[in-house]
Amino acid sequence: MNASSLALPDYRQQRPEVAARFQRIKERPVVLRIEDLAKHFGSGPAARTVFDGVSLDIHRREFISIIGASGCGKSTLIRIVAGLEEASAGRILLDGKPVSGPGPDRGMVFQGYTLFPWRTVKENVMFGLEMGGMDRSTADAEARQWLEMVGLGKFAESYPHELSGGMKQRVAIARALANNPRILIMDEPFGALDALTRCKMQGYLLQIWRKVDVTILFITHDLDEACFLSDRIIVMGANPGRIIEVIENPVPRPRSVEQFLTPEFLALKQRLDDIIHAPGAAEAEEKLPVVKLTEAGDEVE
Amino acid sequence: MLVVLSFLLPLALWSAVSYVPWLWHPFVRVTAPGGVDYFIEGMDVPRAVFAKEKAAALQAGLVAPAGYPVNPVYLPAPHKVARAFFTAFKTPPRLPNEPWLHESLGHSIRTIFWGFVISSVFGIPLGILCGSYRFFSKLQEPFVEFFRYLPAPAFGALCVAILGIDDPPKIAIIVIGTLFQQVLVIGNTVRKVDPALIEAAQTLGARGWRLVRRVIIPATISDIYTDLRILLGWAWTYLIVAEVVGTSSGITFFINQQARYRNFDNVYAAIAMIGIIGFSTDMALAWLGQYLFPWKRRRRASALKSSVAEPSPSSAIPMSIG
Repeated sequence: MNASSLALPDYRQQRPEVAARFQRIKERPVVLRIEDLAKHFGSGPAARTVFDGVSLDIHRREFISIIGASGCGKSTLIRIVAGLEEASAGRILLDGKPVSGPGPDRGMVFQGYTLFPWRTVKENVMFGLEMGGMDRSTADAEARQWLEMVGLGKFAESYPHELSGGMKQRVAIARALANNPRILIMDEPFGALDALTRCKMQGYLLQIWRKVDVTILFITHDLDEACFLSDRIIVMGANPGRIIEVIENPVPRPRSVEQFLTPEFLALKQRLDDIIHAPGAAEAEEKLPVVKLTEAGDEVE
Repeated sequence: MLVVLSFLLPLALWSAVSYVPWLWHPFVRVTAPGGVDYFIEGMDVPRAVFAKEKAAALQAGLVAPAGYPVNPVYLPAPHKVARAFFTAFKTPPRLPNEPWLHESLGHSIRTIFWGFVISSVFGIPLGILCGSYRFFSKLQEPFVEFFRYLPAPAFGALCVAILGIDDPPKIAIIVIGTLFQQVLVIGNTVRKVDPALIEAAQTLGARGWRLVRRVIIPATISDIYTDLRILLGWAWTYLIVAEVVGTSSGITFFINQQARYRNFDNVYAAIAMIGIIGFSTDMALAWLGQYLFPWKRRRRASALKSSVAEPSPSSAIPMSIG
């Protein structure tokens, strides 16, 4: 990778249409504003800072990815945005209004499968609508529409345990979107899926995002995934957690799998790789104290 | 297959001890007293005594006593118990005012049913509250934990003084014995609900009581159901204690009465009946559970298939019989 990096363009270099698109995004209203957010665990000398001084503006219908080494607090950050944890300092503004506690205006898709096992697929999607006070028959019709949209209309009456992992996550996305959230928060939603399914799910997600008026805040540790999906990529560093760089993705839209080998894509990925795996940023691969259990001469490498 | 074997093995052991004359059989049943003046026909004498008397009689030139080895009267052979199983229902009670066996059993089942229903009416909601809210958990559980250690039979005299000598004190003892365990066990089960499900529900707008009703209860209800099956086994233990409080009644009365007449085959038959009732109730409840909680069905089936060591649903239930 390093040898070829000389030939790659600067990742900050944008084609005119990409630059124009970012200009348009920045003119849109801010949906989510994170102001000087900090999170500490414990108190006194034992206190540990997860992250500090995190500020970010997310515009309407933007696709934002947060990427970073483990321990940089990216999961904690979005759990605070979702209202599942409390910030130690700073605040979160949704459409200009401060929020606290979880609510249906911030949908969330988790890494683990969190479908309710006792509800059918359709009833899972109906859950948020029922909580919002919608009557059953309206919620039923609405849920069916969402399931059609994620391509699972046929499975409306199935139970979650009858679905594959990718299908479960599509239901989870439909369930979150049915509430018409202002922002959809996704915490490594495809992390538990196999590579092939993950690739398909990324395609589905882009399709859905194009059709639905929703802003997406996406957490991942997969560089390709971040490059493929997002408008802007927030790179976080650890110890203490902080934002290192906000990168505008130079890869033009609409995205396709063929772009994985374009100079822009490779340049961006190279840059992300450099930041995340910078010397000192992550510990070198540890020598494991494994005693040799094979015969001499029986080498695999 | 192993299930059948698990029943056959103890039965085979019992049959061996009963039918193979040189296994155990510590007594000799006298068929002819011969020259021993205190032997009576049908009397059981320890083997050593019989041998000594026989030797003494032969030495004195008298007719040797005859007999065959038997087990003590409290260990009847399987076929006798099996016969008692069927005849017990047909045998009229010795005294006209005593109940028939099926009446005794019916009485016991009624007592345990009401005891368990009353306990559950209070225990299930309290357990769910304790499991769902820290406030209720802190408010109730220390006392419940303390009360749990007070043995239910200790309240026997008190229950009789307050509730009379008929069924109410018996039901009360079952309630005392079951309720406090129930609150703690269900509270614990509810606390084990997957926190990710609660978080997901919260981000979908569920909160407060609706979170409990629409997420926590449905997420744990099938485990609570399993808890109740286990607790029903405990309730049988308390039933046997409860039935000797006040006027003795139910199956315990039958057992005590038969033991007094030394009809030990009937005693064993009655104890086995408790086992059969408990076991079949549990099997029926397990079967019913599959229909009540369809989303659990596949998972349970695959768990049974995947591991041989998986205990069958019923073996987790402590049977209360001795």
